[in-house]
Amino acid sequence: MKRLFYVLVALVALLPTNAPGARKIRVVATIPDLADMARHVGGDLVEVTSVATGVEDIHAVQMKPSFAVLLNRTDVVLLLGLEAEHAFLPALLEAARNPKILRDAPGYIDCSVYVTPLEAPTRIDRALGDQHPMGNPHINLDPVLGKAMVRAIADGLSRNFPDDAATFHKNAAAYNATLDEAIARWRREAAPLKGKKLVSYHPDMIYFAERFGMEPFGTIEIRPGVDPTPGHIAELKRRMLKEHVEVVVRERHYPAGLAETIARETGAKLVELPAMTGGVPEARDYISFIDYNVRTMVKAVTGG
Amino acid sequence: MRPRFSIRHGTALLLALLLAVALGATRTEAQGAGEEQVRTELDLLKEQLRRVEQQLKQQEELIRRLSGEKPGGPTPAPPAAPPSAAAPQPAPAVVDEEALKLKILEALQPQLAAANKTFPAQFNPAIGFIVDTVLSFTSRKDQADFQFRSGELGISANVDPFVRAYAILNGTNAGGFDVEEAAIVTTSLPYNLTVKGGRFFADFGRLSKFHDHDLPFVNRPGVLDTYIGGESQSDGLEVSWLAPLDQYLTLTAGAYNKIGASNTRVDNTVPRGLEEFTYLGRASTFFSLTDAQSIDLGVTDAYTPRVRANDGGSRNLAGIDLTYRYTPLAAAAYRGLVWGNEFLLNSERQQTVGASDIGPALFRYRDAFGMYSYLEARLTRRYYPGVLFEWVEDLAHTGRVTNAYSPYFTVWASEFQRLRLQYTHLDAPRQRPEDQFFLQWTIIMGSHVHSFRDR
Repeated sequence: MKRLFYVLVALVALLPTNAPGARKIRVVATIPDLADMARHVGGDLVEVTSVATGVEDIHAVQMKPSFAVLLNRTDVVLLLGLEAEHAFLPALLEAARNPKILRDAPGYIDCSVYVTPLEAPTRIDRALGDQHPMGNPHINLDPVLGKAMVRAIADGLSRNFPDDAATFHKNAAAYNATLDEAIARWRREAAPLKGKKLVSYHPDMIYFAERFGMEPFGTIEIRPGVDPTPGHIAELKRRMLKEHVEVVVRERHYPAGLAETIARETGAKLVELPAMTGGVPEARDYISFIDYNVRTMVKAVTGG
Repeated sequence: MRPRFSIRHGTALLLALLLAVALGATRTEAQGAGEEQVRTELDLLKEQLRRVEQQLKQQEELIRRLSGEKPGGPTPAPPAAPPSAAAPQPAPAVVDEEALKLKILEALQPQLAAANKTFPAQFNPAIGFIVDTVLSFTSRKDQADFQFRSGELGISANVDPFVRAYAILNGTNAGGFDVEEAAIVTTSLPYNLTVKGGRFFADFGRLSKFHDHDLPFVNRPGVLDTYIGGESQSDGLEVSWLAPLDQYLTLTAGAYNKIGASNTRVDNTVPRGLEEFTYLGRASTFFSLTDAQSIDLGVTDAYTPRVRANDGGSRNLAGIDLTYRYTPLAAAAYRGLVWGNEFLLNSERQQTVGASDIGPALFRYRDAFGMYSYLEARLTRRYYPGVLFEWVEDLAHTGRVTNAYSPYFTVWASEFQRLRLQYTHLDAPRQRPEDQFFLQWTIIMGSHVHSFRDR
């Protein structure tokens, strides 16, 4: 009898861990922006990990085998999409051996599905650099598109876990309302940016520029993903002086020297910005990331 | 609040009117209507056009006023719609442009996806072609040579929901096209299993799985050429398992006709007994020392119970591969260091005395050891200097050692074009030391995937 009692106690002790629903939904996001959104959408139901920390170039995130372990155990993967993660995600998904998150499987949540991409190429040609055939993928720099990404996350999680769909959509609506308030504030704060021309290292500032009325003028890279030649830099500087370009953006994962030189020699302001949440200590989450970028840019333009 | 009648609507109306004019004119000609009627219609249209233009100007003025509002100030009330005789203005309504855009996109998405899928070429595999050419000079012969090392066609695609396949066809200086790899790989087996079948590079060590053009230096290290037979090309079957642990650990087991494209011990084309297959076991793991530093470690053993060419004796080839990487997260494309090493131990029966009138050939087991070590730095996105050191014992003669060192400098013009300059000092037994110079030019056309095995 005593033995039976111990067996029962052991079974009861095991129950909570084996009960369905006890385990949190495992979410792996490729970048911290999506991880932060997923935490808001999923709330207590999810356990979120990000592959990138935010300081990386999204096109050059390392393919660490430890990421394959993360992806092997996850229920869903969130990606920015538009081939932004082409350098690491397809190979990691193959190494992860998790059929739930293979491309086009329900657990493969592409957060760009509700976004109309800019710069969709009319011609695919390697002479034009590392093109993204579906358009510029740096959508996370526009908070309005951030709302669309939140929707995609809510829909993606609901597709995989329909029992919790109402919670996901309620949380997404609440977070998007918070974003709406922040967007209204950013629009007011960013008024001085209107019409200002900017040069960036890589064509990743286009969505930010579009949202806040700035004009992308050119890039330090000769083509996306291709380092500049001296001739390109000379021509860029000449055009910048002629067209009174006021801002040079160095995304923080690109080398400092060249951007500094160009800014100095053309009289433009050098602005150093993260391209993802977590790219600087102040950008703790998605809202503080956009906050940092707007304020840093406005400060540079107004000289404040 | 925004006016409901935007410039876009105005432009659409304008275009519709112009179209109407064109159609009207055509119809008039066709029907041979009187000029007077046409003139009246044109006058009417001109008047409508004038009104639309006026409307557009009013809308532009309105937008200018709205966009000129002070930051942080109270939202001004929308200006009253200007009086217009053209048409009654619709009451201004709040239109969330983004919400509207999202709704339109949602509605369009299925049609766009369907249009894509009906395009027949969408089912074609991804295709890439690699050209690898080398200008070499050797001091031993005091001669130079342009080598067309390879023109490599790679194709890959998913076959169905369960497997994908890829093929690498390679044309070289030797002439003809060879199937370097043609393999089927499962994609959705349970229990973290992957099965690979066909012809492929067996999972032996690290650089033996790289194609020539993917190597960090011009030539494959001598130990891999001699002990494995170049690339670890094999016809066979391989099962690999990712252990369900927090620590990355993969285990691979394989059976092949032989391992090594230029391994001449075994005839790849004839049937054989089970004891004449080569059996492989491998374990590989990964240690993250810091965010920027890591170590890849692998142990492999390939065992062939019976090798006919070696008087029926067995052969065992064991290897350890160790790769240290330093890649700063925030500058992964611009800074880094790789220290790659492989150590191989070969044990097989070697002929010590050839067959003659007085007796048969004599064989005895010999162990031979070889290794390479290279250090490569990433100075910028373009410039990768490095140095390779090799130490290889002759398989048949213990103590006869070939060693070489090769400083090299790689320039990546872009991700798809690479130039490499390499000097090799080769010191082989019973030969004069030799100096070699190489200039390699490699390009990739079309599709090129970043494979996990090439990391």
